[in-house]
Amino acid sequence: MSVWNYVVTAHKPTNVTHSCVGNFTSPQELNLIIAKCTRIEIHLLTPQGLQPMLDVPIYGRIATLELFRPHGEAQDFLFIATERYKFCVLQWDAETSELITRAMGDVSDRIGRPTDNGQIGIIDPDCRLIGLHLYDGLFKVIPFDNKGQLKEAFNIRLEELQVLDIKFLYGCSKPTIVVLYQDNKDARHVKTYEVALKEKDFVEGPWSQNNLDNGADLLIPVPPPLCGVLIIGEETIVYCSANAFKAIPIRPSITKAYGRVDADGSRYLLGDHAGLLHLLVITHEKEKVTGLKIELLGETSIASTISYLDNAFVYIGSSYGDSQLIKLNLQPDAKGSYVEVLERYVNLGPIVDFCVVDLERQGQGQVVTCSGAYKDGSLRIVRNGIGINEQASVELQGIKGMWSLRSSTDDPFDTFLVVSFISETRILAMNLEDELEETEIEGFNSQVQTLFCHDAVYNQLVQVTSSSVRLVSSISRELRHEWNAPPGYSVNVATANATQVLLATGGGHLVYLEIGDGTLTQVKHVQLEYEISCLDINPIGENSNYSQLAAVGMWTDISVRIFSLPDLNLITKEQLGGEIIPRSVLLCSFEGISYLLCALGDGHLLNFQLNMSSGELTDRKKVSLGTQPITLRTFSSKNTTHVFAASDRPTVIYSSNKKLLYSNVNLKEVSHMCPFNSAAFPDSLAIAKEGELTIGTIDDIQKLHIRSIPLGEHARRICHQEQSRTFAICSLKNQPSADESEMHFIRLLDDQTFEFISTYPLDTFEYGCSILSCSFSDDPNVYYCVGTAYVLPEENEPTKGRILVFIVEDGKLQLIAEKETKGAVYSLSAFNGKLLAAINQKIQLYKWMLREDGTRELQSECGHHGHILALYVQTRGDFIVVGDLMKSISLLIYKHEEGAIEERARDYNANWMSAVEILDDDIYLGAENNFNLFTVRKNSEGATDEERGRLEVVGEYHIGEFVNRFRHGSLVMRLPDSDVGQIPTVIFGTVNGVIGVIASLPHEQYAFLEKLQSNLRKVIKGVGGLSHEQWRSFNNEKKTVEAKNFLDGDLIESFLDLSRGKMEEISKAMSVSVEELSKRVEELTRLH
Amino acid sequence: MEGSSSQPFDHDQTPSGASKFLCNLPSRGHLSSTVISSNLGGMRIYICEHNTTPPESQLIKTNQQNILIRSLMLNNKKGDSSSKDVKVLAEGPRKRAAERVMDSRASAKKANTQSGSRPEGSSSRATEKDYHSLTVERLRALLKEKGLSPKGKKDELIARLKCVNGGPQKSD
Repeated sequence: MSVWNYVVTAHKPTNVTHSCVGNFTSPQELNLIIAKCTRIEIHLLTPQGLQPMLDVPIYGRIATLELFRPHGEAQDFLFIATERYKFCVLQWDAETSELITRAMGDVSDRIGRPTDNGQIGIIDPDCRLIGLHLYDGLFKVIPFDNKGQLKEAFNIRLEELQVLDIKFLYGCSKPTIVVLYQDNKDARHVKTYEVALKEKDFVEGPWSQNNLDNGADLLIPVPPPLCGVLIIGEETIVYCSANAFKAIPIRPSITKAYGRVDADGSRYLLGDHAGLLHLLVITHEKEKVTGLKIELLGETSIASTISYLDNAFVYIGSSYGDSQLIKLNLQPDAKGSYVEVLERYVNLGPIVDFCVVDLERQGQGQVVTCSGAYKDGSLRIVRNGIGINEQASVELQGIKGMWSLRSSTDDPFDTFLVVSFISETRILAMNLEDELEETEIEGFNSQVQTLFCHDAVYNQLVQVTSSSVRLVSSISRELRHEWNAPPGYSVNVATANATQVLLATGGGHLVYLEIGDGTLTQVKHVQLEYEISCLDINPIGENSNYSQLAAVGMWTDISVRIFSLPDLNLITKEQLGGEIIPRSVLLCSFEGISYLLCALGDGHLLNFQLNMSSGELTDRKKVSLGTQPITLRTFSSKNTTHVFAASDRPTVIYSSNKKLLYSNVNLKEVSHMCPFNSAAFPDSLAIAKEGELTIGTIDDIQKLHIRSIPLGEHARRICHQEQSRTFAICSLKNQPSADESEMHFIRLLDDQTFEFISTYPLDTFEYGCSILSCSFSDDPNVYYCVGTAYVLPEENEPTKGRILVFIVEDGKLQLIAEKETKGAVYSLSAFNGKLLAAINQKIQLYKWMLREDGTRELQSECGHHGHILALYVQTRGDFIVVGDLMKSISLLIYKHEEGAIEERARDYNANWMSAVEILDDDIYLGAENNFNLFTVRKNSEGATDEERGRLEVVGEYHIGEFVNRFRHGSLVMRLPDSDVGQIPTVIFGTVNGVIGVIASLPHEQYAFLEKLQSNLRKVIKGVGGLSHEQWRSFNNEKKTVEAKNFLDGDLIESFLDLSRGKMEEISKAMSVSVEELSKRVEELTRLH
Repeated sequence: MEGSSSQPFDHDQTPSGASKFLCNLPSRGHLSSTVISSNLGGMRIYICEHNTTPPESQLIKTNQQNILIRSLMLNNKKGDSSSKDVKVLAEGPRKRAAERVMDSRASAKKANTQSGSRPEGSSSRATEKDYHSLTVERLRALLKEKGLSPKGKKDELIARLKCVNGGPQKSD
């Protein structure tokens, strides 16, 4: 790999951190707005459900999200503050469907200690000010003027240093905050302050309350007429106001999120750490609070945000499991739950670990993640591309074409499958037992190759061979009419629809026939100057049986032409350029837009937008799908038409947001495809590949496919063993009965069924920290090695751990050897036929020794001290790269002769690492806990020892994600002869559920894309006025520097979503054609 | 802590416990269809091509003035005679000792020219007391500012100042 890296998201963040409901897009429309860390999603509430509207990338990690309505406005504004101290106020402009920046600013202070308990951003209910608590001891106020405009912000000193929550109180004549804080004796209190805007200071508020629940963590302000505040603790809930105090005890729980149900604030939904949903009711008489009631409603995912939508529907946003749309039923179900889960929205976060495997052994990588936490823990199998679920297959060599036919015009299902070979045609049909067997259509000529077949009107079938066109009754199966090619000419290519046939013979003759009841009429004949290579008359106009346009691809002048039907007048001629002839043309329509697709002999595909009335071709785009000639066919799946491009790299072409998208099909080589919708195999495809005819159904048409394996416990490490075809995971389960005790396990799973097949329980307090599948020198067996730590409550750092060596025998984990260590085994690596372990501050190498009695044991060989905590270790040859808790990356080398490990070089920055990976011999990649990526380079040519001992930082980038793991590998199928196939990639997984790809580019391509990125920055503006350049700049407590040697692939790939005008603007600035730019960017999208 | 669905509810609650609280959930007519569809179209990815810089006045910055200096200036303006301030000082036992000292020192140092024009909250007693805490020189300076004679003993000076400031204060 190289220093020039391209970072792109393959799976967007799915961790829902905030949500709110309000009239954002119009005064009449009610919206649900969801924050997924670096993106917001806007949904519309409709009688039918939640309608997705917009997915908005934000150049920042969202710290707070609030809807509010300034005085005199008819709809709500959206306030967003980011973790890097930027804020913006957004307004929806319904006319242009754009997000307008009403205000934005920087709320950072030069001095100040960032709050420990997260940033707080609140808006006064009477819209007099925005309050922010970003640094300990400071409360920032952004006042509104009476026109709803924001004024200069100022800080107020807040005496309370350990603030847990701050909220505005309702119904106060002066803006009043209530502060929940902890004093230096760890007791918790609340206190109120009035914000005196003129004096820019706090004034003691109307009331305070001391010595609350020790777990009090959340304030809920109660709207008028009741006013006051609810203080949610772990064992009690308290209602507090100037003149009332009510408390109720609750079952011990940690409330994670709340949602207000009624506008008057009398009912609230509370979600706790175990995913239980409660209803909290404030009982009141004549606006006087009389008491509190709490009722358990049922179980949901562990909520991070709860939004009551409407009509008993509630949105549960989750960071630890799938987010949900639930309904609260008036009557409990059989299990006593009032909660009905109607919808689950996939969330991969937090991805704690993952592995890249090729389970189907197709050269197609799949990512298996340890996702979710606590009871919502799961494994997720993430696969790129569209899969074919094989239902039947037969061996058939040399297929030259396939068509499905119906037995009558109104039959909804296909009956016959016509398979054409070089010198014969065979017809397969479904028999009564729903089996495919060979049959005959008497009227067809089965002694020769079929060029084309189609159903025709009046219960007829059309067969085109090189000598004739035959019209056959689909009922009697007898020949009704035949059109013969003129003597001396043979038909080369042909196409047909229900009423028309178009064919081309040698010498450039184009013949147009129309189908009647038992008749074939030659309507028109023209001679073109060159030979014809391909034809299409797929009807995409108003009449679904009759096309007014014909597309024709030509030899010699390499052009594609549009003719009108029935008179065969030339309307448009488009030169394709280059020397490769078009092999397949197709007229098709997606989302109401008509296209002409034209596939070339070298695996390239051109697409044009087609004006149906004028026949004009515009918006030419070129993509490379494979290297072999492509055959294009339409098919339908879920009532939508898509195009299948059969080639050495089969692809499905579909449209989303009026943009054509290309998704790989997970098959190696497909020569022909035809839809085969039979009663026994509905919605299936017949696929000819590698000497086989397969009938199968197709996955949903989308890019990434995610399968969930719920575990009910939290998986923390995973690894795959090819030989035993198993996965092993380290997991933990909270025992609900025994008070809070966790149990840790090593579990073995079948890699096909994902069922637990064997379990090894760890000791009390013993955590599984690392897992590895490896073999040792002089031993043919493959083992699972597990590193553990004894995490004792009284110790700050573990001082004891174990390395366990298992073998899989008869589907069981058998413990072969165990070795006690003096600390936590944070990482295990296979190293020169030995085992390398990172144990607390030490790197330790173990040999696999044969004892006299024939058993094996791990024997310590050598080690290396000098780390704070060696958390992440990667090896390559004799080199060891260590990611330290707080001392960045260091490089060690193992010296065989001396049997010693020595430090070679280190990065002297103080980075707190979260993952490391070796990109190549000299370049190492790291991720750290301020959401940055960086690369360092080994300096072997340094003049002095000092220079050689320093790892030079060569790349820096703010990824805005907490990366937990890097793995070499790819999500897409690697074809050795494609350009993209040569680009090495690393996959990463993050806390927000992002799966991303880092690709090392050749320098020329990097330079080109860097230029494109800087041009895109001028055209694509950051929502809310946030700057892309600032967002991607490397940032930690010590420094902020511009990103270098990393490119933002998400920005670059959004080039394809730009309007034509903007594309041209960029094309002009780059002096590269739009077509070329699109092609180069399109190629990059195939990395993920 | 009970997460298992087999026994998710407390035995001491009647099964209909939550039902009576779940009636009349607010509804504005959304999500009212009998079949809630999970597929109401795709999500458009927002590409922002228009200018997103806010109106000039709405590019918000933070007042860079040090909080301490600001509070001093404010006190300066407000006048050391503000009874509210005194009250805050008296009732704010949590204020750091250092700041309390600072506050009182500040009020001690300044003799405010505008104190008289701020009728709210200052009592004459406080004023008198405060004047006593000032030096003669400071009192003379104050009198000069008000165009009064700076001559005489300290008590005379205070009396003269009170004549000017005290009148309206006594009235409330």
